[in-house]
Amino acid sequence: MHSILKTSLAALVAAGVTASSAAAQDLSGELNIISDMSNPAPRAVMEGLAADFDALHPDLEVNLTIVDREAWKTQIRNALGANPPDVVNWYAANRMRPYVDAGLFADISDLWAEPEFEALASTKGAMTLDDAQWGVPYTYYQWGVYYRKDIFDQYGLTEPSNWEEELANCQTLLDNGVKCYTIGTKFLWTAGGWFDYINSRTNGYDFHIALARGEVEWTDDRVRQTFANWRQLIDMGAFIDDHQTYSWQEALPFMVNGEAASYLMGNFAVAAMRDGGLTDDQLDFYQFPVINADVDFAEDAPTDTFHIASGAQNMDAAKEFLRFVTSAEVQTAINGGDALGQLPVNANASIDDDKFLAQGFDMLSNNAGGGIMQFFDRDFDAEMASVGMEGLQEFMVFPDNLDDILARLEETRQRIYQ
Amino acid sequence: MFPTPIAKTSRTWQISYQILVPLVMLIWLLPLLAVANFSVKPEADFVNGNYWGIPSSFDAISNYGKVFFESNMPRYLFNSLLITIPTVIGAVALSCMAGFALGVYKFKGNLLIFFIFIAGNFVPFQILMVPVRDLTVSMNLYDTKTGLVLFHIAFQTGFCTLFMRNFIRALPFPLIEAARVEGIAEWRIFLYVVLPLMKPALAALAVLIFTFIWNDYFWAVVLTQGPDAQPVTAGITEFNSQFRAAYHLMSAGSIVAALPPVIMFFLMQKHFIAGLTLGAVK
Repeated sequence: MHSILKTSLAALVAAGVTASSAAAQDLSGELNIISDMSNPAPRAVMEGLAADFDALHPDLEVNLTIVDREAWKTQIRNALGANPPDVVNWYAANRMRPYVDAGLFADISDLWAEPEFEALASTKGAMTLDDAQWGVPYTYYQWGVYYRKDIFDQYGLTEPSNWEEELANCQTLLDNGVKCYTIGTKFLWTAGGWFDYINSRTNGYDFHIALARGEVEWTDDRVRQTFANWRQLIDMGAFIDDHQTYSWQEALPFMVNGEAASYLMGNFAVAAMRDGGLTDDQLDFYQFPVINADVDFAEDAPTDTFHIASGAQNMDAAKEFLRFVTSAEVQTAINGGDALGQLPVNANASIDDDKFLAQGFDMLSNNAGGGIMQFFDRDFDAEMASVGMEGLQEFMVFPDNLDDILARLEETRQRIYQ
Repeated sequence: MFPTPIAKTSRTWQISYQILVPLVMLIWLLPLLAVANFSVKPEADFVNGNYWGIPSSFDAISNYGKVFFESNMPRYLFNSLLITIPTVIGAVALSCMAGFALGVYKFKGNLLIFFIFIAGNFVPFQILMVPVRDLTVSMNLYDTKTGLVLFHIAFQTGFCTLFMRNFIRALPFPLIEAARVEGIAEWRIFLYVVLPLMKPALAALAVLIFTFIWNDYFWAVVLTQGPDAQPVTAGITEFNSQFRAAYHLMSAGSIVAALPPVIMFFLMQKHFIAGLTLGAVK
């Protein structure tokens, strides 16, 4: 896998198509990168990137350190503080906030002003804090509704495009003894996806992000409207029973065995469903339907990113590296099925021949005008997210507790964001 | 005599006993059997919800093959050996010497030192987590096998010394006195008189410590991070990828990781039981 990637990148290098080859000779010194791509396939990708960038710039020495992905979440602050590297991996949106506020990430708005970066427009909002950009994306994956096409066909259903169709579909399925949605909320985050979608479809991306930033009260009527919409599904019995006892993987059998027709999930679920024996004829994908026609589509697409440390020793090389990883060619290569198997952010990149990747890429590049959300636990403050997701799970099980839950979330918001 | 030997009880009780023993054993082993069952299932069974049933296909070769050839498991197993064996040697050697000193010589503070060794056993090691981690970091031992070995030796020596000291105390003291009368140097007494007599204790302790250290999870997680230093108990989580947990591979890995202590137990069964009851009956 590694060698395939390397050859393809090496071919690019040889052809000299990389946007930056003109400046290639000027870089010298060292470029220190700390990456959290520690799982086997991403690790090979990262090592390939570093080696190729090193080969592109003969006078530059690229030093790569790979840190365990989980460990990096606690180490990053230390790493950026004392003796900082030049480039690090991290996540988009609110997850950048602590390091932006502490002045540990470098402002790279000048990079984003370059014409090449217009191809990355879908995530520009997610990389922006305080009207400046702080990093670049290298990969993301779409969220949406994965459904059993064979079950939909059996009952004469089509992909819903608005909330009424959604509810009507669901009622048909329920009348035939099939649950509309499988979900496992044991580890809470899956409920966050539902909230992201219903809230952004009801009130729009800007409202959702304002709520994430703590600028709106949880007891606001617009938030209540979100929960009212959600409750329509809950009261119908649209979700599988006892979902609070399953992990997301343990909720898969319901869909694979046909007891539930669809799953709001990230694209990583496809591999698992295929392993479970579902074919591409049985499985399909649709974008979460419109609820409020006045707001544009906003999509969950958790984005992994590169950032420059404000204390970087080799700023020129670091910026050049960011140009390198965001170029269409490199993003195509690193997101291929034999590498990360996700979506390139660069709209000019091409993707693997996979119907879910193709639909996701098209959706995120052309049909996510509202903006790209990073998912509940990345957009919201970490503590707010953990209290919030507990509340969402409780709501899904005991919808009558809504007032209590909202009061509790509001209390937390006031404490955290005061 | 309590308990009454089963041969002397009533026939009905004997029969129910004979039925109950296998039944209880089965219930007792149920989690292990489930893991064994998981380890030969294909991944599809977990997606289909076939958790407890018969595997839809028998994938032992592919699962165990992946564990051995496509993961870092061999590396983790090797790490476990490199951590466990030095710890056993270190802890047993130190505690023999300490036990000898505390058991044979009468000096001021003998009892106090002995009590300190015992007291160390009563400290729940979890509360030492943060200071020990900080200490390893500042000693540049964090995420190294050496660091793990040193701390295991330090923690195990307390228990081992208690064990050894009591064993040496129970040895016939005239043997040592006789050797002294012959004018033999103290270290030779230790080496040629006491040590050979301690063989059963050495074997029992080595087996016990081996299983303790091999099965240690806590310090492995606290003090090490990657495949360079992590032993197998901590490394097994490597089968969790970013999004999915590979239950079948984790189960296969757990079985492999559990084998060395099990083999050790069967080979050294006699010593193991001796170790658990040593000093219990005079």
